[in-house]
Amino acid sequence: MGDSQNYLHLARPLAPAPIASSQSSVTAPVSVTLQPQALFSIIDHASRRPADQERVIGTLLGTRSEDGTEVSVTNCYAVSHTETAEQVEMDMDYQKRMLDLHLRAAPKEVLVGWYATSSELNTFSALIQNFYSQQGEGTFPHPAVHLTVSTVAGQDVEANTYISAPIGVTAERAADSCLFIPVPHEIKYDEASKSGLELIAGARDREDRSQLLQTDLETLERAIEQVLEMLERVSNYVSDVFDEEQPPSTALGQFLLNTLSLAPKVNAEDIERDFNHHIQDVLLVSYLANTIRTQIDLSNRLATAAITMGGDTNVAGSGGDQQKQQGGGERGVERGGQRREGGGGQQQRSGQAGPGGRRGEQ
Amino acid sequence: MTTIPPAESPVREVQLSALVVMRLIKHATGVFPQPATGCLVGMDVGTQLQITNSFPFPASNPDNTTGNPNSSNPADPYHQADQLALALAAPRAKSSVSYQNEMIKYLREVNVDAQGVGWYVSCSMGNFVNASFVENQAFYQRATGEQTVALVFDVGRSSQGSLNLKAYRLSPSFMAAHKEGKFTTESIQKSSLRYQDILIELPVAIHNSHLLTSYLHQLPTSPTADTDLALPASLSELRRNPHLASNPLAPNLDNLDLSIDPFLEKTVDQLLDSIEAHQTEQNNAQYYQRSLAREQVKIQAWQLKRKQENALRVQQKQTPLPEDEWQKLFKLPVEPSRLEAMLVGRQVEQYARQIDGFGAVVSGKMFGVRGNLLPGEAS
Repeated sequence: MGDSQNYLHLARPLAPAPIASSQSSVTAPVSVTLQPQALFSIIDHASRRPADQERVIGTLLGTRSEDGTEVSVTNCYAVSHTETAEQVEMDMDYQKRMLDLHLRAAPKEVLVGWYATSSELNTFSALIQNFYSQQGEGTFPHPAVHLTVSTVAGQDVEANTYISAPIGVTAERAADSCLFIPVPHEIKYDEASKSGLELIAGARDREDRSQLLQTDLETLERAIEQVLEMLERVSNYVSDVFDEEQPPSTALGQFLLNTLSLAPKVNAEDIERDFNHHIQDVLLVSYLANTIRTQIDLSNRLATAAITMGGDTNVAGSGGDQQKQQGGGERGVERGGQRREGGGGQQQRSGQAGPGGRRGEQ
Repeated sequence: MTTIPPAESPVREVQLSALVVMRLIKHATGVFPQPATGCLVGMDVGTQLQITNSFPFPASNPDNTTGNPNSSNPADPYHQADQLALALAAPRAKSSVSYQNEMIKYLREVNVDAQGVGWYVSCSMGNFVNASFVENQAFYQRATGEQTVALVFDVGRSSQGSLNLKAYRLSPSFMAAHKEGKFTTESIQKSSLRYQDILIELPVAIHNSHLLTSYLHQLPTSPTADTDLALPASLSELRRNPHLASNPLAPNLDNLDLSIDPFLEKTVDQLLDSIEAHQTEQNNAQYYQRSLAREQVKIQAWQLKRKQENALRVQQKQTPLPEDEWQKLFKLPVEPSRLEAMLVGRQVEQYARQIDGFGAVVSGKMFGVRGNLLPGEAS
């Protein structure tokens, strides 16, 4: 999402062998893809942090490409921890059990790293980073990804991703220090999330920060308004160029021309015919669906209606039965109608209605 | 008959956080075409139910334990039906309940609103009204409280461009009937329950936190009038420029797409399935009516016979035989539940509304296209 920064990747030499045993052996560049739901979850967690805590941390879950150089962060969860000037305490048991729970629901999402809600990297970060990249429970042999999302009020939310390399002269020093190497990341969303994101973004400019879900028609209306606005802008630009108020651009002209040439050339009669056919098809299907709805409603009502024919309950019961049979027969006729009209009106639907009609007759 | 109708919940609308929307979309599209189910947590504030987080239920999959390679053949229709039933029943499965409790316990530790407020399910083209759905929601409304809702996310319709997310709850009158567990003609007549009254739809709104709002504002948006972009030198530069190429939160123009046939076709297909289900229910009801009538004829014959016999015995000064012995001799058939028929009715209504919606949208678009291609006639 526009966070395309440039990075220079240098393969670092591995640290001396004894230290490397507890460390990640991969220092190859890693590229990280963030999915919006993970990011939203981090932001949610940041806004729910205890008042006295500067930052909160959590575990990142996601998938990794086979060679381990590409990581996609798809989910995350919060882990409680306390941090003072001298020490950091992390609920490792909690982290482990939570990971188990998540793995049960989504076995494909594995541990890939951790996040913190401040962009500061300190000794504790190194400690936690080493915990996450250790052997066994950590991400070893792959590097653990560290994602920092700064959530300082009044400043931009800034996301950074790092992997680490071991550093330190002795084994003891190496345990609580590491070198964070920034790696590129991008925020990606898939097609399916688009409509959701659009709606979420719609709430952004509103005072109450909320947005009612809209019906299809309202969404359409808004989309058309937006298209009209864009067209307006383009035509303003073009007329400004004609009036020599704006500098012309060959590239833009070419682009517009290419776009305009996409308009299909069809003759008016064909359009008229296809248009009528299609609209009739749609209206017919809509009409028939409503007819079916009415019939089923009727049949349900007749089945449960208290029909009194002046006789005892026995008579009433059989009366209801007869009525219902009539209802069924009527519906059969309707369905027959649907099949005929469906066959005549449109080719693609006739195959559909055919089997349905036959099924009904059995 | 002494059951007190459950108190109606004060919740009138549902508020979703952006996080829940995104999690739901991800989970639902990830497992499509299987239905995805999961739990919603949040809290109810006055008339508003705020849903702030969600997590998926683990798929209960007994096939893996048997280790039979044949049973996990995805092409097998029986296997799929089995899977479907399993996935739909997940919210009220025992394992899910314990999973949910455990998860909520952990979430509470990190300050998440730890109160189960409902569950979600994904569907395709509105095919969610079935016995399983009703059972799940009834289970939740009884176990967790009257305020719980079921969120239904329609994967199929959301691919059309606009997000389709609905919140439903079972009506108090239906809950009362469900508690009795009786859906006979008589009980329905008495409670005058109609299929339109089964589900109550609640309006859904999306709500962002302050932090998220500021983040969204920071992401690149459509260029404002006062930004001065340098004019591109060539076509390729125009295509390459990342600031022009991708605009993440730009309006989604997918819903201007004209192709509606696949959606209509699918819905009509499902509609036909519903009709078939209705037919089955009707046959069951008719079968019941017929066998009831047969039994009643038999009983009447027996009663007549017993009466004549008694008249004879009275004449012969013998004690008459009891006349209500037929209750022991004959067994009246049990009336089938009308619940399924009602649900089919509700489902058909859903489809019909959906098709209406398609029709409204597509005819608008069609007239637009026609006006564009035939400018002479439009003016």
